[in-house]
Amino acid sequence: MRRRLPLSIQILAAIGAVVVIVPVLALAMRAPWGRFGTIITSESARAALRVSLEVSLAATVLSVAFGVPLAWVLARAEFRGRSLLRAIVVLPIVLPPVVAGVGLLTALGRRGLIGTWLDRIFGIQLTFTTAGAVVAATFVSMPLVILAAEAGFRGLDERYEQAAAVLGAGPGYTLRRVVLPMTAPQLAAGAVLAWARALGEFGATITFAGNLQGRTQTLPLAVFQHLQTDPSGAIALSLLLVVVSIAVLVAMRDRWITGAQ
Amino acid sequence: MRRSLSVLAVTLIFATACANDPSAPTTTVTVFAASSLTVAFTQIGHDFETANPGVRVDFNFASSTDLAGQITSEATADVFASASEAAMDTVANEPGVVARADFATNRLVIITPPDNPAHVITLDDLTDPRVQLVIAAEGVPAGDYARQMLHNDGIGFAALANVVSNEPDDASVVAKVASGEADAGIVYLSDVASAGSAVMSIQVPRSVNVTATYPIAVVSGAEQAVLATEFQGWVLGPAGQAVLRARGFAPPPETG
Repeated sequence: MRRRLPLSIQILAAIGAVVVIVPVLALAMRAPWGRFGTIITSESARAALRVSLEVSLAATVLSVAFGVPLAWVLARAEFRGRSLLRAIVVLPIVLPPVVAGVGLLTALGRRGLIGTWLDRIFGIQLTFTTAGAVVAATFVSMPLVILAAEAGFRGLDERYEQAAAVLGAGPGYTLRRVVLPMTAPQLAAGAVLAWARALGEFGATITFAGNLQGRTQTLPLAVFQHLQTDPSGAIALSLLLVVVSIAVLVAMRDRWITGAQ
Repeated sequence: MRRSLSVLAVTLIFATACANDPSAPTTTVTVFAASSLTVAFTQIGHDFETANPGVRVDFNFASSTDLAGQITSEATADVFASASEAAMDTVANEPGVVARADFATNRLVIITPPDNPAHVITLDDLTDPRVQLVIAAEGVPAGDYARQMLHNDGIGFAALANVVSNEPDDASVVAKVASGEADAGIVYLSDVASAGSAVMSIQVPRSVNVTATYPIAVVSGAEQAVLATEFQGWVLGPAGQAVLRARGFAPPPETG
């Protein structure tokens, strides 16, 4: 007979599972299945899905482009204030998104620290634009890339790099041909998590970029908008978001997380 | 297992006993109120607590539509103060309300940042394509009233084409304009009283303006029904009305 886990552990585990499962199940049960097709193919839903995909993919690309080099610096470079820098760059993970939005406004808003100059010199305004939504999504999702990539780099035995160097490879070549391929699973997991986070972003986006159909209204913002006028429509859109998220998580689990072990 | 359960039970009984400690009797009345009431009701709640020792007023401020949705899906509100009759109708339908009465009215104004970068002087200036306009989202009372006002003036389509963001509530509209991100917004007169010098306001002619009527009611099945009725009476009474006047709200419409 298999050894049974203590009952108290089983009960706590069951409660933990229920907390997560019930709201998702409730969405499926309350969804207006008769109108489901009509709602998710409506003009506003299609616009929201398009904006969501554009914004979340652009944010993922930016997060990887800047987050991976930053993780490399944090993992391999020795300099004063490194642990402080590490703490600060992952701060958006614990920061309430609305605070992130206010921070972005004060930095990049039309009258913000940098935004003033962007506006005056280049005539660039980020608030109320799709680019602004991308900035908001990048801000909240890049830390996930940094965390995953840094863990990957730190887990990599430095002797691989030393061996490559001995064989005459330059640092750039070593990074491209040795380090990145060997840490690919962690980098991919970080990128997918960042994408999922960007897809679900709400608070920083509405605070910094606003809410306008076809421009800054992502799926989560469209859910909020529907909640005001058509609550069952909001459920249908929520369900769409859940399905997309689950698909990503399942794909990631099979391909990378388990494969990395 | 049996022992840990009894420990849990004793802890629970002890915690309950502490909560009922007669030396610190606090009864809490929960009030769900439209976000445009935030400043006025916070003051009124404070006054009510001072006049009734041992009573605490907890507020939940949000768009009336959101609040009505929360109450209908069984949030525990004792009192509901709405910025629209429609949101109150939702709650009156399910779970029902008692002693519904109008307690204030509000009008709309245009706000701009203090330096008015887009030079908005009249309502018609909102049709200038250079103006970045923010209003509350459709379905939010402040947003519906704003759209109605623009259509009353016959500039609905031109002005709505300038909308750069549909905000969750009137307070967010004020924030976007006060920070200078947007050139103009449409909010309640009472919002301007609360925002002070952070925004400049432009009056809208009565002929096209919209009057928002605010109903207040005790929610059916309220846990603190008696206290809820007292709070409602306070809002409708001289003390509550004085605070509302000071915060830019007009008296409720005459009822026959």
